[in-house]
Amino acid sequence: MTDVIFVGGGHNGLAAATLLARRGLKTVVLERRPIVGGAALTGDLHPGFKVSTLAHAAHPAPALVSELRLAEHGLELIDPDPYLFAPLPDGRRLVLERDEDASARSIADVSAADARRYPEFCSTMKRIRAFVSQLMASSPPEIEQPTRTDLWSMLMTGRRFRGLGKKDAYRLLRWAPMSVADFVSEWFESEPLRAAIASGGIFGTALGPRSAGSTAVLLLRMGAGDGRPRFVRGGLGALASALAQAARAAGVDIRVDAEVVRINARNRQAAGVTLRSGEELTARAVVSNADPRRTMLGLIDPVELDPGYLARIRNYRSSGRVVKINLALSALPDFTSLSGNPRALAGFIHIGPDLAYLERAFDASKYGGWSARPHLEVTIPSLTDPTMAPAGAHVMSISAEFAPYHLRNADWSTAGPAFADNVIDTLSEYAPNIRSLIVQRQVITPLDLEATYGLTGGHIFHGELSLDQLFTMRPLFGWARYRTPLQGLYLCGAGTHPGYGVSGLSGLNAAREILKDLK
Amino acid sequence: MLKYDAIVVGGGHNGLVHAAYLARAGRRVLVLERRHVVGGAAVTEEVFPGFHISVCSYVVSLLRPQIIRELDLARHGFEVLPLDGTFTPMPDGNYLWRVNDHGRTRREILRHSRLDAEAYDEYGKAMIDMARFVKPTLDMRAPDPLSLSFADLRELLRLGRRFQSMSAESRYRLVQLMTMSAADFLDQWFETDVLKATMSASGIIGTFQGVRSPGTAYVLLHHYMGEIDGAFRSWGFAKGGTGAISNAIAAAAREAGVEIRTKAGVSRIVTKNGRATGVVLENGDEIEGALVSSSVDPRLTFTRLVDPRELPGDFVEEVRRYKFRGSSGKVNLALDGLPNFTGVPGESRHLRGAISISPSLDYMERAYDDAKYGRFSRRPYMDVVIPSLTDPSIAPPGKHVMTCFVQYAPYHLKDTTWDAEREAFGDTVIDTLSEYAPNLRSLILHRQVVTPLDLEREWGLSEGNIFQGELALEQLLFLRPVPGWAKYRTPVANLYMCGSATHPGGGIMGAPGRNAAMEILGPSFDGGGRGR
Repeated sequence: MTDVIFVGGGHNGLAAATLLARRGLKTVVLERRPIVGGAALTGDLHPGFKVSTLAHAAHPAPALVSELRLAEHGLELIDPDPYLFAPLPDGRRLVLERDEDASARSIADVSAADARRYPEFCSTMKRIRAFVSQLMASSPPEIEQPTRTDLWSMLMTGRRFRGLGKKDAYRLLRWAPMSVADFVSEWFESEPLRAAIASGGIFGTALGPRSAGSTAVLLLRMGAGDGRPRFVRGGLGALASALAQAARAAGVDIRVDAEVVRINARNRQAAGVTLRSGEELTARAVVSNADPRRTMLGLIDPVELDPGYLARIRNYRSSGRVVKINLALSALPDFTSLSGNPRALAGFIHIGPDLAYLERAFDASKYGGWSARPHLEVTIPSLTDPTMAPAGAHVMSISAEFAPYHLRNADWSTAGPAFADNVIDTLSEYAPNIRSLIVQRQVITPLDLEATYGLTGGHIFHGELSLDQLFTMRPLFGWARYRTPLQGLYLCGAGTHPGYGVSGLSGLNAAREILKDLK
Repeated sequence: MLKYDAIVVGGGHNGLVHAAYLARAGRRVLVLERRHVVGGAAVTEEVFPGFHISVCSYVVSLLRPQIIRELDLARHGFEVLPLDGTFTPMPDGNYLWRVNDHGRTRREILRHSRLDAEAYDEYGKAMIDMARFVKPTLDMRAPDPLSLSFADLRELLRLGRRFQSMSAESRYRLVQLMTMSAADFLDQWFETDVLKATMSASGIIGTFQGVRSPGTAYVLLHHYMGEIDGAFRSWGFAKGGTGAISNAIAAAAREAGVEIRTKAGVSRIVTKNGRATGVVLENGDEIEGALVSSSVDPRLTFTRLVDPRELPGDFVEEVRRYKFRGSSGKVNLALDGLPNFTGVPGESRHLRGAISISPSLDYMERAYDDAKYGRFSRRPYMDVVIPSLTDPSIAPPGKHVMTCFVQYAPYHLKDTTWDAEREAFGDTVIDTLSEYAPNLRSLILHRQVVTPLDLEREWGLSEGNIFQGELALEQLLFLRPVPGWAKYRTPVANLYMCGSATHPGGGIMGAPGRNAAMEILGPSFDGGGRGR
């Protein structure tokens, strides 16, 4: 008999399944789509052009890479350097590199004071990051009924927190609920640098830089992985392949084209699943990699769940605001501010020159419209990975926000192209020749994210990263430790703590909790 | 030269409460107020002949009951008159009119939505349950999780136990309330836009946030914590205006032996070897005091009154970073008669409550959007009262006082100044109100516009913040005003803080003044018994 069934083979599901299989549990992963990986996916954009269809960067937890020996299974991470390029409307630019001195020199072009401040910012964030990443790699504390072990681990977390020293500890408590606009303004005076850093606090969320709690999102981004978002050779699908290989090597049975339509329960205990084909599978435990709403509201007979819990899950917010646009380009676009030197294009290209720009981009989405001038996170992966495009040609991946799932005066079934035009217009202001280079364009709207990739509300993080849905409250207060009110049913996706990007942390944490129960 | 046990800088309501408690413990106390009248922002002034106006703060709700009792404020003239409900006119002539009578309010909400009428009961119960948990934290020092002191750990543990003793439902709601936006929180309960918009308004008052900004939900609780004459959840007018509250506290303080001097601005707090030893007045007089308590905000206290060089650099840095950014103004009107609201014509009970200009959540949020980019709201949120209907003594016969609290009016305007915008701001307020009460314009005898800059210049509220610093999550509890210094003490020995910039913050509560006095007097002091 199967011990554990995974519903959905996203990166978190694959990671968790591998760890369970290694401990001798008979594990099956059931994936609705023809390939595993979920949002970690490489697709053919155009003959000869490949692209990370959805997520274009990963924050793999060091433990994920080492424990699952992903390198042996073919994973090759790329650490782009320079990692951030922000072209400015006046023709200037900001370039951040791994070499802090080089970054400081670029920052000095926009502000000498900020350039002086930058090293202290980096060293402070390094210290705080160390604590945050530990917190992200552990299960949230059990608050309702702590056991002795829980109390002990809480005590140890408390000690590590104190270990930060009073100054940093207060900083963390003060920063977490703050708006990222206030946070960056405490450090820096120049808008380009403020906006470039602040963008990490709003990406993928329904928060503007002035929204309280956006600093917490920035801290999550910094704490995920080793703090440096990576590209993957072959696109993010290659990460999924490596995870799948590791899973199979551990004995996981991966079945694709196997859509789970129901999670079956008997006596308030998850007992197995029913597939679209009608096939029923039984197991000791079911782990859902799907988002909390899809799992609890879509796959389970409501009579199995307490109405109070259901009401809370219904209130779990997961309304996405990101549109993904992928472009096949005949040549490298010419960014005016680089005067012909494309070195700075290797990493993330940030479009959003000042905080007011980012805030305005967010404003429109509050009223069901999209940004007239959106915030863009752009990558050209073919620069660091020639396998992605034919020689001389390039592929560009754009995450554009804010474009809300619920449009007031339009419908995503037809609105995608118009929004994409708006994105290309925005980009043309910095790279005027881009339009003429486009060979192929792919637009993935929030509705596509939901319909094709199963992300409820099109939310790329399986639910809003707002203060009330983080840490001990993700997905719900009282249910943050990967368990659900249905015995034997677990959650392991990004809708659980820590829930940021492609890190594998939710999966690793969930596996640890599941093993405690299944032994 | 005179010598006092304690000198209180600033005669606002907190300074007066603080002084009264110190005096009741036998200390010789002097209160120094820069203006010609005590009360700070809780003040009634005869702005126009015959019209006595609560110029700044205009309603009372959270004044701590133990202060009313211990200082015997009723005997000193403090009297609360009812403020019945909230009337929200809508652009289409419809309205939402909630009153203190639960049954009537329920019927009124039923007119808008059956579901909401049902949810309203549950909501009220849930809020009261949470208010019971939160209320005691108003009257104690905020325990600091980074402190290793026995008292802090004990308080934290006690809070933890009380938290655990709540129902699972209340625990879940409470963590939501502490982290969510008012709009998101209310969205979970209600569907009627105008209801959510009006309720959400309490979450944004005094902050530079919108109803959709996380962290604005918890203030919704304040409406359920108001306690006057023991009635949970009621707000009221002070008879004679809010200045009457200050006068009552001042009378109680004087009776306890406090000496109060007005027109006595402090220019410097004197320190010697890291200890406060007295103050220097603007006229040059020096007064010695064994301790000094400042009820003015930390920016004034630590960058103007105390030489910042006497303070640790980290502390000064934190004070500089403390956010004020006032976001509201006040427009006070002397009227020749009563305004006629399109929805409910004529003089009726609805004019005796608050009139809230908050027709929809989008309206509220758009008002905020204007402020973010440095202009006052083209169509602002307003909380309007006509206290003269309830308290005829404040206006000539047949005439009325109408005060409008207006948000957003950001202190920092882009490309212009408040002196240049004063009248345009006043016009916007009248234009907005006229959309709902067209006859208002013809009734106006006099108009007083109080801008954030006026609040700073005249009332000493930095950047015009009515709470002496923004009520944002990172500036509450043990982080208010700055981390590590949330217990009314300062890096200067014998110098204390006792104003709204300390826990639990602003509003006419008196809690900071009382809590700070308790901190000085120690746990053995019992408040001095009832009256004297």
